[in-house]
Amino acid sequence: MKEKVIVCRCEDVTEDEIVEAIQSGATTLEELKRILRVGMGPCQGRTCGPILVSLLARELNKNPKEIEQWNKRPPLKPVHMKIFVEE
Amino acid sequence: MNNNYEVAIIGGGIIGMATAYYLSKKGIKLVVIEKGYIGSGSTGRCIGGIRQQFSNHTTIHLMKQNIELFSQMEDEFGFNVEFYRGGYLLLAHEKKMEQEFIENIKIQRKEKINVSLLSPDDIKKLVPHINTDGIISGAFCPDDGQAFPFAVLRGYKKIITENRGDFLLRKEVVKLNKNKIFSITLEDGTKIEAEKVLLSTGPWTRELGEKVGLDLPLYAERHEAMITERMPKFFEPMIVDYRSDGCYFHQLINGQVIGCYTPVPNVPGIREDASFEFLPNIAWRMTRLVPSLKNASVLRHWGGCYTMTPDGNPVLDESEIEGLYVASGMSGHGFMFGPAMGKHLSKFIVEGKWGMDFKDFSINRSFKINSEHLK
Repeated sequence: MKEKVIVCRCEDVTEDEIVEAIQSGATTLEELKRILRVGMGPCQGRTCGPILVSLLARELNKNPKEIEQWNKRPPLKPVHMKIFVEE
Repeated sequence: MNNNYEVAIIGGGIIGMATAYYLSKKGIKLVVIEKGYIGSGSTGRCIGGIRQQFSNHTTIHLMKQNIELFSQMEDEFGFNVEFYRGGYLLLAHEKKMEQEFIENIKIQRKEKINVSLLSPDDIKKLVPHINTDGIISGAFCPDDGQAFPFAVLRGYKKIITENRGDFLLRKEVVKLNKNKIFSITLEDGTKIEAEKVLLSTGPWTRELGEKVGLDLPLYAERHEAMITERMPKFFEPMIVDYRSDGCYFHQLINGQVIGCYTPVPNVPGIREDASFEFLPNIAWRMTRLVPSLKNASVLRHWGGCYTMTPDGNPVLDESEIEGLYVASGMSGHGFMFGPAMGKHLSKFIVEGKWGMDFKDFSINRSFKINSEHLK
């Protein structure tokens, strides 16, 4: 039996799920994010990002350099709301 | 791929995809053309609320059907679209707003919507974490709710593909004209011919319409949204604060809290950037209502467009060019309007007649400026 390889630890997404999404038409990080929520948890893709790039490159037969970076969203690191509110 | 179609749908957001889904079920030969990926525009940036509490009969009627359609999606698609009825709680901080709620509730009850006016005590029971200071009452409908926009789009894409509908993604339309039938040229030179064309391109609809001489009263505005980390579920409804410095937010079924506010004054233009002032503002507005959110972490914040019309109602009609349909100007409600709108539009495109009265959404209406809040 093949082992489950967790790629996105925040959202519990496995390599198999990612490969399946790519095989059914996703060609960019932005699409993977929207299909599987990869990179949308507390780490915001800092852990899984490079792995996703290499999986996309492997499955699409591309050089990792050709894989478009995803949009960087503020505030980059999780920030408590009280930081904005309290004096 | 043979490039002749019965219907070409330009715009792969919720409206285009819902229409394509229902057309594909009727066996129509169709293509969805999208300049980004499916959901890369406004649908993919929205927060997924679904409500029936409107003040216009057409909209309420449409939203009743939408709640039904969202509830059937899991069976149709074979996976969960995270549809959940947590309700919508609209707050009144002024008598004038309360009066508006009372008027709207009368209209909504005529349409058999289960909606009631709650006292501050009832509100506190419903959302124990809420700070009721200044709240005089709230309108609540427990049947309103939420769904996950990307899951809905993925479901539509799956069934459209099974029904042999085509997709042309990452290709922008550069030319659109009609000479008996429509011809569409894409940026890579691909040419497509179609008997009928739907423009469902949200904020980009106005400039596409200009290519065929249409002057559509559609105006883009930038809105922003934010999302927190996951937390145990601690409130059910979408909370809407209608004050000019208010906000609206709900907790998704995975525990994340997602929220927006309507900027005053508005930020015109097709913009999807995120501003520096948004996070301090939304944090202040949300924690004023639910102080325990102070300890929640914000993960991400982003921008997206509303496509507005002068009266806040959509445009859903055939244009003066026969066979060219327009569905845009959803004024911030595209995701919740989408499924039923797509169903009705598919019938109209195929049979030439509407299944319900859409004259409030007509392309030739007077577009009187509407200042009421529940637009």
